Amino acid sequence: MFPLRVRSYYSLLQGTSSPAALCRQAKSYGYTGLALTDRDNLYGLWDFLKSCKVEGLRPIIGAEVTEPGSKKCITCLVRNREGYSNLCFLLTNRHMERKFSLATTLQKYAEGLVILCRDYELLKNYSRQGVEVVADLGSRPTEAGRLLRHWAKEKDIICVATPDSDMAEKGDFQLSCLLRAVREGATISDAQRRGRNEKPGWLADPREYWNRFVAWPELVAATERVAALCDYTGPEFGVVMPPWQGDDGKPAGLALRQKAFCGARRRYGDDLGEPVVERLEHELSIIELMGFSSYFLVVRDIVHRKGEDGRRRKRRICGRGSAAASLVAYCLEITNVCPLKYNLYFERFLNPGRSDPPDIDIDFSWDERDDVLTKVLSDFNGHAAMVCNHVFFKPRMAIRETARAFGLPGYEISEVIRRLPWVSKHLSPPWPEVLTLAEKLIGVPRYLSVHPGGVVITPEPISSYVPVEWAQKGVPIIQWEKDGTEESGLVKIDILGNRSLGVIRDCLHAVAENDDAPDEASWQPEDDVATKLAVAVGETMGCFYIESPAMRLLQKKAASGDFEQLVIQSSIIRPAANEFVREYVRRLHGGSWQPLCAEIGDVLDETYGLMVYQEDVSRVAVALAGFSHSQADGLRKVMSKKDKKLRLENYRERFFTGCAACNVDLVDVERMWQMMMSFDGYSFCKPHSASYARVSYQAAYLKRHFPAEFMAAVISNQGGYYSTFAYVSEAKRLGLKILHPNVRESEIRWTGQEVWIRVGLQSVKGLSADFQKRLIRERGEKQFLSLEDFLTRTKPADNEVCALIHGGGLDCLSETGNRSALLWQWASFQRVRKSASHHSLFNIILPQPPLLPMPDQRTRLRREFRVLGFLCDMHPLQFFTRHGRRLVKACDLADHKGRRVELAGWLLSGKLVSTSNGEVMEFLTFEDETALFETTFFPDVYSRYATILTSGKPYILGGLVEEDYGALTLTVHGIQLLRR
Amino acid sequence: MKERSVIHFNVADFAVSVERVVDSGLRQCPLIIAPLQAARAVVYDMSEEAFRDGVRKGMALRRATKICRGATVLAPRPALYQKAMTAFLKEVLNYSPLIESGFADGHLFVDVTGTHRLHGPPPDIGLRIRRHVRTHLGINPIWTLGTSKLVSKVASRLVKPVGEYIVSPGDEALFLAPLPVALLPGLTRQELRKLEEFHLTTVGALAGLSRQQLMVPFGSRSDYLHDISQGIDDSVVSTSSLTTTQTVDCEQSFADDTNDRQEIEAVITDLVSRAGQCLRSRRQVARRVGIWLRYSDGSHVVRQASRRVGSNSDFVLHNLALSALQRAWTKRIRLRSCRLVYDRLHKQSPQLLLFPDKGVRERRQEKLLGAMDTIRNRFGHQLISIGSRSSIAGDVRSTIH
Repeated sequence: MFPLRVRSYYSLLQGTSSPAALCRQAKSYGYTGLALTDRDNLYGLWDFLKSCKVEGLRPIIGAEVTEPGSKKCITCLVRNREGYSNLCFLLTNRHMERKFSLATTLQKYAEGLVILCRDYELLKNYSRQGVEVVADLGSRPTEAGRLLRHWAKEKDIICVATPDSDMAEKGDFQLSCLLRAVREGATISDAQRRGRNEKPGWLADPREYWNRFVAWPELVAATERVAALCDYTGPEFGVVMPPWQGDDGKPAGLALRQKAFCGARRRYGDDLGEPVVERLEHELSIIELMGFSSYFLVVRDIVHRKGEDGRRRKRRICGRGSAAASLVAYCLEITNVCPLKYNLYFERFLNPGRSDPPDIDIDFSWDERDDVLTKVLSDFNGHAAMVCNHVFFKPRMAIRETARAFGLPGYEISEVIRRLPWVSKHLSPPWPEVLTLAEKLIGVPRYLSVHPGGVVITPEPISSYVPVEWAQKGVPIIQWEKDGTEESGLVKIDILGNRSLGVIRDCLHAVAENDDAPDEASWQPEDDVATKLAVAVGETMGCFYIESPAMRLLQKKAASGDFEQLVIQSSIIRPAANEFVREYVRRLHGGSWQPLCAEIGDVLDETYGLMVYQEDVSRVAVALAGFSHSQADGLRKVMSKKDKKLRLENYRERFFTGCAACNVDLVDVERMWQMMMSFDGYSFCKPHSASYARVSYQAAYLKRHFPAEFMAAVISNQGGYYSTFAYVSEAKRLGLKILHPNVRESEIRWTGQEVWIRVGLQSVKGLSADFQKRLIRERGEKQFLSLEDFLTRTKPADNEVCALIHGGGLDCLSETGNRSALLWQWASFQRVRKSASHHSLFNIILPQPPLLPMPDQRTRLRREFRVLGFLCDMHPLQFFTRHGRRLVKACDLADHKGRRVELAGWLLSGKLVSTSNGEVMEFLTFEDETALFETTFFPDVYSRYATILTSGKPYILGGLVEEDYGALTLTVHGIQLLRR
Repeated sequence: MKERSVIHFNVADFAVSVERVVDSGLRQCPLIIAPLQAARAVVYDMSEEAFRDGVRKGMALRRATKICRGATVLAPRPALYQKAMTAFLKEVLNYSPLIESGFADGHLFVDVTGTHRLHGPPPDIGLRIRRHVRTHLGINPIWTLGTSKLVSKVASRLVKPVGEYIVSPGDEALFLAPLPVALLPGLTRQELRKLEEFHLTTVGALAGLSRQQLMVPFGSRSDYLHDISQGIDDSVVSTSSLTTTQTVDCEQSFADDTNDRQEIEAVITDLVSRAGQCLRSRRQVARRVGIWLRYSDGSHVVRQASRRVGSNSDFVLHNLALSALQRAWTKRIRLRSCRLVYDRLHKQSPQLLLFPDKGVRERRQEKLLGAMDTIRNRFGHQLISIGSRSSIAGDVRSTIH
């Protein structure tokens, strides 16, 4: 018996088991191989091939293909390379074509495939067309199966038994029912009832199939014959580079050379120095050798978009990743830092020993990225698609979906999820059952989403490599996620969105209107003294990558403001490297230090003897443990992988053995390995850090010199580390006046100039995008003269007018400034509009409103806060009584170093971290009317107060003011919610 | 026109008051009424002390007992509350036949206009009834006297949970003027929100606006708002709820909420059999059923199904109820209660047809139901039921009125 039809959990919301579990089960039953036939997809192909390799099973690649709108379904098994391509085309057709019919479409793609089917019409049709068909009688003998077998015998068609299974074992039944409930939106009881009636299949022992088909043993024997036909073991494309067609058939290598040297002259002037030429020649030779020329050129064409006039214009970008180490990339203007100036090693990006293709990742402004992607996909139509993400059930999602199937109301689900894991032992039925079942759901794939920016471009039609389908947002995606794509050899380009590029663009644009903008070609913000001073004291809220509390504190401690230090700081701030951060600051301030060991030499001198960048791991492995460059690169890469445990253990052994061979002391080796492990999770390479630091400096420069324009751009582009509330407070601290929204003045985005910023319509909650555009358009034609005029021309909805009135946006159209009266007039307008004919010749004239009391200040501000999320003129803390306590202001904390104080604070943001003992603690940022302040909640305090900590609430905090290298923090001992 | 005198009696936390009469030991501690032995029970009623601690009706019992740790929890006894309400009503009926009451909720409007010669002045009636009820039934209702249901109701809300209030004729506007608008009955949440937006926080401020002005934001509701702000309420004390035979209404609350189709269909079958028996005993037939489903998230759905020819056969009514259920039950969320209301009732014709339109099967069903009714009337409803019904779990409340 060879199991020819087995579905894994990649048959979304149907199968229950991973390809690995299925392979393990197949191996334990003594099967020699397995055919994975997921429904309409090859999502699990690479997992399956890997698992088969581990278990020593022979893989057969296949898929079930269904016909939309009918119950027809066939199973395709791949015989050879052509069959694989055809299956990809067929699956692409199934997903992308509106009229897909199994009867007509298959013939075109049948070559190289074996088709299993149980539909008489299709079997007849396919036999007539000469397609290799097999009658599929399923997992049990049935009456329908008996008739099919009889009919197939007459037609001389092979019949087989198949597991037709969704589960690796019978015990997965509950999970199968749950998946059905999620898929169909049914209740768990209904799903179980129907599941019991339909008897779903599982991958059984071969003896079980022999027993079941004891009357027709030839059906089981035939599976081996069919399996023997399919000896294709998986695609081997090699490295698939994006194709470049340009410059009238000129070879890519030559074109790249010309463009690189041309770009170098733009960057460095006509007289290229020896280092530039040497480096370019070196890089070009390696790029040519490894066949990367066309890749560079394609990326260049994406960055330099050809306009309608045929001329190329560069978009605002930030090169990221190791590609920023390439001078060729810098000269092509696809990265933004000079690798020579900042000593970036090209080999980190590309070297002849590197077997896996490196990516070139580019950041575009967040609001331009979709346009870039659309143009790439249309330029390479049929040859390009985005990489997908396989979205798996995470704990919260699993609990939510399971609880829904059990019929629990939404508020209760949210409440329990919020309080997990603390409440898990005290829950009433059916919650214990929900949690047990939800645990099984965790890790099962649920749906496909689009990778943030990965695009694959192929020389042949992309569907010949991998099935393609439409994503929810309307872009084509391949069926493999990032790792599968990499494994297959398809090279992806990451086109990512970056909010700060939008901030810089908008700020420069606003400044340019006053002719103050710096010349970007010669702009060196890192050399500006004022900017350096601002960075050195951590005044970087709103600046890209250096605005988080941890980064601001580090800048204060470092107190240098140098670009080189910022490059180190951007990289050293990572979750597992706290102790190295402290050590870095100590050494930066002149503290003595020794190399990690004598044998290491000057490898880490640039970073004060600490491993800061990803490549430091590789360099130490090469220097001390005798690793080759590609082995060391492998060690670096494995650290960012999810399933690294086993492979990391191998590397550890080799590292220790290598170091022992070089006579490195075991204590030193252990210390170095621990330092390497701090790169677990995410970490940066130096080119990436330098590239980001450049953008950080640009932002810091703009903040220092053009605060109004900058803060307006930060809030307009949204998505920063802090809330709008926090940025508004920062703007006030910078001495800017916050002007209310105003329908006669406000733009959709925030605007700023000199000493004021004006709230944009985008920040008034409830205004639709259409209404905002309509308002701007109408105002552009003619300024609003009265409330009636405004309401008549902009046709707002009820909630939009209320939001504008409460936010102060219509104060300019009121004689008295009475917002109650404005609301009354709006009601009056609605009444008149309702009763008047639609095409009245006369303008609407509103009657005088009655004498309504004006809302008191507290009510007015409460409404304003509800609509805007902040107050323009005051800080909300001012409304909270402090019961006569002697509270310190945040701006005066420096006067209380080493003393216990009490102060009021508005909670802005927090970062949870885990101590070395696994306890939870949190760093929280608060502010009062005068300044921001950072606090530390150690585990015992945090566990006491965690339940009352919510962003956007006022508190009274008590704690000790501590100073570390000039940076002040409050170590909190107690906190209580401040009430009105 | 003669001034009307309407007394409003309100027993705050009626179920709790009744339980405290039955067991005086409960008077000293906070009390929560909720189904016991149900894992997901919700609060049915609670005492003032529990309310002050934050317990609310419909809150999960587990949470309620956490908020109010010292509370005693008792299972609801609707039959007992109904009995107490009937006794209360009986006492009040001695003074006036014009009584409007809710269903076992401790609320009564009594119109005592013109009873001066028989029972003395209205305030005496209020005092006497309260004294009598307190002595004989052990419950202590609020009583308030006004010239309309509106005024007495507002006064009742003002003095809650204990007390009395008399609004003299002519003083209505003066009485209402300083009160917050939220005390006025019959205002929707949206209307209250609108009033708050216009900063009309007191009834007096609302009364300052003319009908035409109120027309602007409140449209057709302006007359009602204007009237209640002036203390004008012409609605009569309606006795219809006591004597209606226009509907058959039965409800079942689940002690543990459920979304199991079998369990819910079993409940429907049970409710249908009760309604069918009621109709047959009244010799009525129904042409329409409405189904009220209350979900655990507090939302509710109402759907109907009707037929051209009326029927009182359980089998026909059951199919009708299932069609309504199919229309109503569209969410997966668990149900807290299920209510069936049969209406469009008319008398079952006593005239036999010359050519019966019923088949043998229907006639057999009719005989079967007749036999079951006889058994149920003698030995109780639960004794016999239709075979397909599965047992109904939990503590259920079922009422027919």
